[in-house]
Amino acid sequence: MKKQSKWTALDIASMGIMLAIVEVCKHALDFLPNIELVSFLFIIFTLHYGWRIILLTWAFSAIECVYFGFGPWTITYFYVWPILIIAVMLLKQFGGEHPLYYAILSGFFGLSFGFLCSLYTLVIGGVGMQLTWWISGIPYDLVHCIGNFFICLALFYPVNQAMKRIVK
Amino acid sequence: MEQKTKKLIAGVVALVVVALLVVAVYLKFGPQAEAGTKAYEVTVTNSAGEVTTYDGKTDAEYLSELMDELKADGFTYEGSTSEYGLFISAINGESAVYETDGAYWAIYVNGEYGQYGADQQPVSDGDIFGFVYEKAE
Repeated sequence: MKKQSKWTALDIASMGIMLAIVEVCKHALDFLPNIELVSFLFIIFTLHYGWRIILLTWAFSAIECVYFGFGPWTITYFYVWPILIIAVMLLKQFGGEHPLYYAILSGFFGLSFGFLCSLYTLVIGGVGMQLTWWISGIPYDLVHCIGNFFICLALFYPVNQAMKRIVK
Repeated sequence: MEQKTKKLIAGVVALVVVALLVVAVYLKFGPQAEAGTKAYEVTVTNSAGEVTTYDGKTDAEYLSELMDELKADGFTYEGSTSEYGLFISAINGESAVYETDGAYWAIYVNGEYGQYGADQQPVSDGDIFGFVYEKAE
C-alpha cells in the first residue's frame, strides 16, 4: 500500500506564504539594526505549525545566504533559529499562551543572539576570539533584546488570534 | 498572588537581571576608549597593493571618528551600520563587494587582524591602523 505523506498541498502552500512573509518583514526592517520581526514570526508560526517550522528557518537561512553571500558566518543561521523553535516548543508545553511568556522568551533570544552566533568563531580562533566577538556585539544584543520583547508583547495577541482563525 | 502571575514576574526579573549582567560584562571587558591627544598612523592598501599613508595626532576615541577627521586629508569611505557595527563598503573610492567578488575591507590594528568594527575600535597613542582590500580564499 502506498504510504500517504503527512504534508498536504495546503501545508506546502502555507510554508511558502510564511516564508514570503518572513522575508518581506526581514528586509522591510533591514534599516534598523537588530530590530526585527523574524523572531516573533517564527514564534507565532511554531505555535501553530510545530516542529516543521525548523524547515522554514532553514529555507529562510538558505535565501539569506543567496542574498548576502556565503561566508563562515552563514552556518550560524542554520543552528540559531532552530534553537528558538525548540525553546518555543518547550514553552508551549509548560507556559500556555500568555503573550508575556513569549515576549520574555523573545527577549532572551535577542539577548543571546550574538553569543549564539559567535560560537562558530570557537572553531576559527578559539575561546579568546569567540568572547571578543561576542562582547563587541553586546550593545546590539541589548537593542535586539528590547526590540524583541516589546514587538512580541505588542503583536502576540492580535496575530495569534488571526492565526487561530486561519489555521483551523 | 496567582502562581501564573508569579512566574511571569519572575521571568521578567530574570530577563532584566541577565541583561544587566551582560551590560556589566561589556563595561568590564568591552573596548575601552582613551581620552586625550594620541599619535596615529593609518595606511590604506588598495586592490593593486598601492599603499597610502596618513599620520598625525588626534583626539578621536574610536577609529570611525578618526576616519571622519581624515576626510580633510582626502581619505574617503562609505559604509552602513549593520548588526555587527559599522560595515565598510568602500575606501578612497574603491568598493569591496563580498556578494559579487568575495572582497572586503579588512581592518588591522598594530599588525594584528582587528577584533572590532571601526565604530568600536578604540584609538590609543601610537596605534597603527591598516585598511586592506582582501579577497576571501
